[in-house]
Amino acid sequence: MGTTASQLPKDLLSEYQELTFLTKQEILLAHKRFTELLAKEDRSSTSQRVPMEKVLTMPELKSNPFRKRICHVFSTSEAKDGSLTFEDFLDLLSAFSDSATLEIKSHYAFRIFDFDDDGTLDCGDLEKLVNCLTGETDDTRLTPEEMRQLISNILEESDIDKDGTVNLSEFQHVISRSPDFVSSFKIVL
Amino acid sequence: MAEQEQSDVHFQRLMSDDGSSCGLMAGSADYLQTESSEQLLRCQTEHEPGGHSQPLGGDRERRGEWVSGEYLPARDWDPNLPLRALPVPMQEKRNTRERRQQQRRSFGCWESWRRSQQIVRRRLGEQVARALWGLQPWRSTLHAIEGKFGVGVKVYFTFLRYLVYINLVHCVFVGGLALMPTLLFGGNTTQGFGHFRGNDSVLDFLLGTGFLERSPVFYGFYAPVPQSSPCLNSPLLFLLGVLSLLVLSCVMVVRRTVIGYKHKWMLGNRYNLHMSYRVFCGWDFCIQDPDSAALKHSFIRNDLRLDLEEERFHLRVSQRTFQQWALLYFLRCNLNFIVLILLAGSFYLVYYASKCSQEEQAHKSPDWMLSLLLQYLPPITITAVNFVLPHLFRRISSFEDYSLTVQVNVTLVRSIFLKLACLGIFLFFLYGQVKHKCWETQFGKEMYKLVMFDFLACGLNALLVAWPRKVLLEKYPSCPLVRVSGKQQFLVPFNVLDLVYNQTVTWVGVFYCPLLPFISVLKLLLVFYIKKFVLFRCCEPAQRMFRGSQSSVLFHFMLLLGLLMAVVALSVNLRMAPSAGCGPFQGRDSVFNVTAVCVDTLPRPGPSIIRYLRSEAFALPLILAEIILLTSYVSQGRANRRAIESLKDMLVMCSADKRFLVKKHSTLLRRHARALKTSVSAGTETDGRPIAMKDPSGFQPVVMRSVSEPCGTACQRLSDR
Repeated sequence: MGTTASQLPKDLLSEYQELTFLTKQEILLAHKRFTELLAKEDRSSTSQRVPMEKVLTMPELKSNPFRKRICHVFSTSEAKDGSLTFEDFLDLLSAFSDSATLEIKSHYAFRIFDFDDDGTLDCGDLEKLVNCLTGETDDTRLTPEEMRQLISNILEESDIDKDGTVNLSEFQHVISRSPDFVSSFKIVL
Repeated sequence: MAEQEQSDVHFQRLMSDDGSSCGLMAGSADYLQTESSEQLLRCQTEHEPGGHSQPLGGDRERRGEWVSGEYLPARDWDPNLPLRALPVPMQEKRNTRERRQQQRRSFGCWESWRRSQQIVRRRLGEQVARALWGLQPWRSTLHAIEGKFGVGVKVYFTFLRYLVYINLVHCVFVGGLALMPTLLFGGNTTQGFGHFRGNDSVLDFLLGTGFLERSPVFYGFYAPVPQSSPCLNSPLLFLLGVLSLLVLSCVMVVRRTVIGYKHKWMLGNRYNLHMSYRVFCGWDFCIQDPDSAALKHSFIRNDLRLDLEEERFHLRVSQRTFQQWALLYFLRCNLNFIVLILLAGSFYLVYYASKCSQEEQAHKSPDWMLSLLLQYLPPITITAVNFVLPHLFRRISSFEDYSLTVQVNVTLVRSIFLKLACLGIFLFFLYGQVKHKCWETQFGKEMYKLVMFDFLACGLNALLVAWPRKVLLEKYPSCPLVRVSGKQQFLVPFNVLDLVYNQTVTWVGVFYCPLLPFISVLKLLLVFYIKKFVLFRCCEPAQRMFRGSQSSVLFHFMLLLGLLMAVVALSVNLRMAPSAGCGPFQGRDSVFNVTAVCVDTLPRPGPSIIRYLRSEAFALPLILAEIILLTSYVSQGRANRRAIESLKDMLVMCSADKRFLVKKHSTLLRRHARALKTSVSAGTETDGRPIAMKDPSGFQPVVMRSVSEPCGTACQRLSDR
């Protein structure tokens, strides 16, 4: 613990505390876990990227069906390869932390579920989302008939302006009525 | 470019004639539309060169407006929103902070001071909240439970923790208002406490006799303190302590129930969102274990299928013939009759057991084992009945052809009725037995025994049932007996029922056994570890669990029922004359005599004011005022509902408007493209394209913003149309 603390300068640490929902201990733990993912020779520099495949091996993300989406949403990489810097990683943990607001959680949830990044959840996104939830293999998927019934149900319930897609405000409208969401949209190291 | 492709998809979606038909959106847009969207995009990129430098601009996504390729200036967030609450990457947060600091510099001295004070205050509040949150016990355990068994099971444990808090608050009240005065000023009344006598034994600990009977655990210990003023004496404080404790717990539980109920009400029939929930809030991101993840997958799948099934079930219900209805009602009547017989039988059992136990207490039998058994007969019967019947109810409700959620609720309602009614009958029987010279202590002892036995049953169930079953299952997985019993699951509702029952007993008994909250705290702490052991060592994660939020409403509602019952039981009790020989109220005709004496000694206007407050003359205006307040709230609620409806209509209208404009835009583009094609075939220059595109791009901002700005210019155009 002592060595990792010395690697993270004090002013940077307090800046991270200001900009994220994480406590000092959580940031230090995150730093420790992140440097473990880096190769030995890269550990000195702070802006080093960890490729997505490495990030996905973390036990907190390993069994999550949305793990790739999570990396893509939080990655600031130009190449859109889902690789994370330490700051991206902190953004991720902050959004998934206990004390993050419903607003920020629902915002990121929307972006995670928006598979084609077009700003609305359309039928294709919803189908992919449901497949992620039920499992990707053929025998775990819903039948096409069930899928159609389910998607039409969802759109009927949450598509308030009836344009055939669920946009962010409609999504947040649904989420804000679910008290379970804040407690389940959470990843703690 | 990836982003270009994405926005293509988006434009196709916007341009498809009917947005709700999935087929069109899936990418079967005709050639012309695709082409026109490409053109639109190209003209935009030319319009705003270098617009792609910010791949994940948070501001654009924020309102669901995806202005493809357009580089909006960084949006001004609400300056009071803390930086960490902005959904943007870290670097963007830093930039925002810079901008804010610059802004702050441009403000006056007072304004910047005010803002910085605001930030300091908010940080302080956050620190305090975080420190308090850090004090909560069992966080890591709850986290582990959540990770392995999901939120549903965690609700049980947080409920248990909540009960511990409630009981701790009760301890403070009892300790401060009842125990301290008696201990400090009690004088010779507290002599017997703390000394063992020759005939005391460990059994007294279970029965509440002997040593315990002389201790502050029971009512008899709290003799009135001599030489005290009429308005500050130990009986008054005792009464005040118990009453304020009940009022406080009522407020706490009602608050919790209302918070939950508000959510539930919003989920209700008006805004039926449960399918969207299952999908949008379905995944539990806390899950780390691959097995749990696989289970969660199958759970969600089953849940969705069950929901769809339920929808079809409702369809089937609406198609039932008269004959089928008649048959079904006949079946349900019969099953309800069976339930009633079972209930009546169990009530009789409880009554009979209480009678046996009372007879035993009157004439002690020589055999201590038999005596113990007989004295503990009512708690044993109540616990046994409550152990067996809920499972029977569960089986019965599966025959009644209700939908699944109704089945669970029906079972729960029957079980809670059984549980509280058994207790009620036992209490009723005890009231009939007010002959003892210190009947209050006697009553307290019975409550003490109920709590103790409930705890013993919990421990024994873990040790003698759950654990051996698990061991058997591991050692002999092929044994038929084991296979019949199957894997154990943690049935949250039934476990919560036990907690509610225990809390109800505590509330009923707190007047006669003032240290019962303290005993309950100890008991709940032990129960937490026992249940944790059972959960982690013996139980498999359930295939189907219910939603955390809805069930927690139900749990708190049951708690409220328990409290109601406790209050009723206590108010009946308080009307009886207190026994002459023991307790704080000895020598008075009624408990409330204490307050009357105090009121009479108040200075001049005091007694008459209090008498006025108690009279009908005051009650009438009070009720009237309440009616007026309620009416205004109801009408406000109705007005809000109407406003919501009209806002919804407005949203639909605006989105229709948006689609209309996009369509118009695309036809315009199409016309231009056609014109271009003809000019190309005629052999003219192809460079004319960007110039031709300038006109439609002026259209574009209105098109993209109509979602978030209902009834801007777009709406006016619609009304013109």
